[in-house]
Amino acid sequence: MDIIAVESLSKHYGDKKAVDDVGFTVSKGEVFGFLGPNGAGKTTTIKVLTTLVRPTSGNVRVLGHDLRKEAKQIRNKIGVVQQQESYDQNISVEGGLDLYGFLWDVPKQKRAERVEILLKQFGLYEARKTPSLDLSIGQRRRLQVAREFMHDMDLLFLDEPTVGLDSLARRATLDFLKEKVKNGLTIFFTTHILEEAEYLCNRIAVINNGKIVTTDTPQNLKRKFGQSKSVDFKLLEGTSPELVKLIERIDDVNKIVQDVSDGAYHVTTAKPEVVIPMLYQLAARLNLHITSIYIAEPTLEDAFISILQEDKS
Amino acid sequence: MNVMVRLVYRNLRANLDKGSLFFELIFPLFFIFIQGAAVSGIVPPFDIGNGRVVSYSLFLAAGAVTLTVINGGTNAGTQLWFDRRHGMFEQILMGPFTRAQYIFSIIITTLIIGMAASILVFVFALPVLSGISITLQAALLTGFALFLGTIFFGAFAITLSVALKSSEAFQIISTVAFFIFLFTSSVFFPVDRAPGYIQAVSLLNPLTYTTDMFRAGLFDAATTILPLEITTLSIEAAIMFTVAVAAFRRIKV
Repeated sequence: MDIIAVESLSKHYGDKKAVDDVGFTVSKGEVFGFLGPNGAGKTTTIKVLTTLVRPTSGNVRVLGHDLRKEAKQIRNKIGVVQQQESYDQNISVEGGLDLYGFLWDVPKQKRAERVEILLKQFGLYEARKTPSLDLSIGQRRRLQVAREFMHDMDLLFLDEPTVGLDSLARRATLDFLKEKVKNGLTIFFTTHILEEAEYLCNRIAVINNGKIVTTDTPQNLKRKFGQSKSVDFKLLEGTSPELVKLIERIDDVNKIVQDVSDGAYHVTTAKPEVVIPMLYQLAARLNLHITSIYIAEPTLEDAFISILQEDKS
Repeated sequence: MNVMVRLVYRNLRANLDKGSLFFELIFPLFFIFIQGAAVSGIVPPFDIGNGRVVSYSLFLAAGAVTLTVINGGTNAGTQLWFDRRHGMFEQILMGPFTRAQYIFSIIITTLIIGMAASILVFVFALPVLSGISITLQAALLTGFALFLGTIFFGAFAITLSVALKSSEAFQIISTVAFFIFLFTSSVFFPVDRAPGYIQAVSLLNPLTYTTDMFRAGLFDAATTILPLEITTLSIEAAIMFTVAVAAFRRIKV
């Protein structure tokens, strides 16, 4: 059974089509990434799927329930981490977790156990007595994600959940989510950090101007849309303008840039197997020495940008 | 556990600010023990209806209790305001709750705060109110007055909080509005002896009827127009409640 089944979904605000005839499905245990530029329709889609706003048209089933007729049943089984902050300002971290569990009718004993686990898991134990208003943005964000795990759910919506988190906290959060997915949780995930999407998502849909442009696995998206690879190399001599001029004349080279931070050259090409031997030949001709060289695969970000550029054109 | 119980408990814990509550209690007590005591020396006891003659400090003590209703009412708007500002409004609506349950939980929370604060002020004011015997009928009448007053002012504050875009505007306009309610009602003075224009405004003012009902119950001073006052206040509270619910339903998320 599909956990989410969306067919011809549209949401209009007056003349503006925030979501325009969108369709996709999400399977049980899947992490479904929903990527797009600002204002593409990601948050509106989440608001519709979480029953916060009514769709203008289309058929949507979430966890087997009709969105229009069985909103309450859907809300009973989902968790949502909104893009915007949400917290009770006067309540401490552990008080906020406990109160949220109470709201969801979680028994007292279970609440106490979960509070302890989540405080440690999300690095909030030291700040457990601090009122939410006095937390840093990153701490409040961690609390917001942790809080959602106070109650049981089958489907979790995460709308840019790692905004404001440092790298360590971000990775810890993503690993925590991965563990939950192993235990059967399904996640609908939006982010602007594409490494996160690649790390977490089984499939990704790219939305632009309210329409889904493509849906595939991260690997397939990179394969299809991340056409160019990068050959990265360093010279023992540091820089060589002559070598750069010669490399630019190679037909299969799209562009060459030097990274000012470490002096490495990045050669963008669709055919690294042709370009690499030529690099060695040219370097030898100029009596230069290549100390390191490797092929960098296209990133999801490359693919994402390429998808949006294609859609625009 | 019942959904409403959970929501109301959450509202009480999440939105009760101890500092504000303290001032909600101090403010009326200030009127009772300072202004009431001071002005009693220059204002002779007077008839408040049904032949009941009371001192100004007694008169004001009853008014100060109903004044608490206004403060309690403001809490409703503040609760909604903070929930919207801090993202909890949407968060709750994406949980196992409906909009109707949420708004009713705010109203019930306001009733609890308003009634509890009024009763607390009443208890503190007992030394001033000594010699008063409260019958069951009087208790019901005073309780009903506080109930209707809290509903009206809670709904009024919710409507303001929905209509106004910034917390500063909400604070300023609600303060001004509540001053108007306060000084054109019978909280501080008997309106039937006030100038005509104040009397005219007081006829529309729900705080006048809340206070009159409360005094009628407390001092056994019911007049022939009391049923009319109860009816008017009930209608005003029902209208304001309907307006608040309609405004609340229009909140965009």
